Amino acid sequence: MATIEIDRVCKSYGAVQALNEVSLSVEPGEIYGLIGPDGAGKTTLFRILVTLLVPDRGSARIEGYDVVRDYRTIRSRIGYMPGRFSLYQDLTVAENLDFFATMFGTSVAENYENIREIYAQIEPFRDRRAGKLSGGMKQKLALCCALVHRPTVLFLDEPTTGVDAVSRKDFWNMLYRIRDAGVTMLVSTPYMDEASLCDRISLIQKGRIIETGTPAGIVAKYPHRLFGVSGMPAYPLLKYLRQCPGVLRCFSFGSEHHVAVDPARTSTEHLQATLEQAGFRQVVVREISASIEDCFMELAKEDQ
Amino acid sequence: MVLFYLLEKEFKQFFRDPGLPKMAIAFPVLMMLVFPFAVSMEIRNINLVVVDSNRSTASSELIRTCTSSGYFNLVDVCDDPRRAMQLMDRNQADAILTISSDFDRLLERGEELPVGIKVNTINGTKGSIGAGYLTSCIRRFQAAQVPASQTMTATDGRMELSAKYYFNEYLDYKKFMVPALIVIAITMLTGFFPALNIVSEKERGTIEQINVTPVNRGIFILCKLIPYWLVAFFVLSACLLIAWLVFDYACAGSLALVYLFTACNILVTAGMGLLISNYSDNAQQAMFVTWFFMMVFMLVSGIFTPIASMPDWAKAITYFNPMRYYADAMRSIYIKGSTLADVWTDALGLLAIGTTMVTWAVLSYKKTT
Repeated sequence: MATIEIDRVCKSYGAVQALNEVSLSVEPGEIYGLIGPDGAGKTTLFRILVTLLVPDRGSARIEGYDVVRDYRTIRSRIGYMPGRFSLYQDLTVAENLDFFATMFGTSVAENYENIREIYAQIEPFRDRRAGKLSGGMKQKLALCCALVHRPTVLFLDEPTTGVDAVSRKDFWNMLYRIRDAGVTMLVSTPYMDEASLCDRISLIQKGRIIETGTPAGIVAKYPHRLFGVSGMPAYPLLKYLRQCPGVLRCFSFGSEHHVAVDPARTSTEHLQATLEQAGFRQVVVREISASIEDCFMELAKEDQ
Repeated sequence: MVLFYLLEKEFKQFFRDPGLPKMAIAFPVLMMLVFPFAVSMEIRNINLVVVDSNRSTASSELIRTCTSSGYFNLVDVCDDPRRAMQLMDRNQADAILTISSDFDRLLERGEELPVGIKVNTINGTKGSIGAGYLTSCIRRFQAAQVPASQTMTATDGRMELSAKYYFNEYLDYKKFMVPALIVIAITMLTGFFPALNIVSEKERGTIEQINVTPVNRGIFILCKLIPYWLVAFFVLSACLLIAWLVFDYACAGSLALVYLFTACNILVTAGMGLLISNYSDNAQQAMFVTWFFMMVFMLVSGIFTPIASMPDWAKAITYFNPMRYYADAMRSIYIKGSTLADVWTDALGLLAIGTTMVTWAVLSYKKTT
């Protein structure tokens, strides 16, 4: 039995359809990523799963319990870390932890082993008010509070948004250790580079799931060959590339442009020559392998 | 256990708030020490101009009677009525007393006194009360003159009127306002704070974190209300104590009844606060809506103007105003010493409105989440 089972869930806010027939299933003990841009419907789906919102249509089950009918049972079994820091800023670290442990009918002492590793990092600040912690510390405290009652399923809504690169890496290492302790996790993130850190992912766009699979599997399904092209000046280069024969799509990707091509009609050498001829300087064209972001752009394009 | 922890958390947050504990102390002190003087309806320092065309012993005696009453400032005594009007136009005079040139002669003959009163009614209360004071001064003067003029026959048919004020013998306005100010303080405190507290949990997202725990919502809300009820009772006690120590006013009726009515009123304001917090997304909205209702409640509560003198439609509105019942009961108990048998209708009114509010609040709370 899947730990989280979502079956054709729909939710609208007035005229805006936030979720449109969303279905997915999360197996026990995996870190499942929900990847999509802001406004794709990630938070709405989380709020339905953690029993804060009722879906318009469709159903969802967590460990076999229905999110609408058995919401009380679910609440004692899950941990939820919302995207925005929502602990009591005017209570201290220790008080917040005590408070949430008590709300779940347990105590910090009983579950200390469960959170020890993470809590050890913030314990020196146990008497500091939560509002006065740094971003990374707040995030660790929130994770402790979500874990303090030994949940078997953990929902993390954009846990790494607004956190620096080193802390993000730290945070993912913590998630792996939590997974190894047997907790199933659903994580949402707008960062495509975090997708490859998950066991399985779903790409979500405008309230619809556009692809589901392992990160490697999704990348393998990328249908075109991909060139990384750089040159000066960058923006006219992008515009020029878009009307080159054999170029299917072209997106700006930091310092490089990612160009999807039809291999029958062009090659790296040919494109290089064409661009140099057109007067672009420092032109470098190299073959690259697709990332999750390339797949997302491709799928999002098809979806429209 | 959960209840205890939730309460402990609320108290911690209350005492850690930079403003709230100070407010709870400052509020009753301010209400009891400053406002009884500030909102007094007693009129003093009425600027009086006398147009004395008579300039006799009798006329100066009349002027002396008026000024010795303590209500008037004698601005000027002149001969020309136009100059007096000018002073009033410049807002330097509130009342003009005109004494005609044959005043002393007419007084001696015991005929009608030709005295004119003009009052400035830009401030209606000051004007009409000033005119009243002036009239009573003239009467007093007249009464004093009667035995001297020895025309007893002319006064045979006169009636002697004397007024006696019950329960507040000296018409001490402060005594009248103390229970009313307690009403305002308690209603504001218990109306605003729980509503703002719940909305701020909404704003900060902490209410969601609570909602995903198995904690019963009813208990959560109850824990929001209890601290403010305790604060309200603290403020009530402080107000009563200050009134007793500073003004020497004691509650004429039963103190238990005062606390009982306060508890009833808290039921109403708590219900209202919850209701408003259910329909508000942020503190600003909640603040403004609460403020709007408080204002309406206060103006048609009978605290500042008697309900009996309101037009019928306004009277009808007061029946839906919880403050009307609370204020009426508090004044009756505090000043008159009424018992529950006298004010049970007020209790009924409060309970009816309170039950409606709380029921509505609970129903709408379920609907919105």
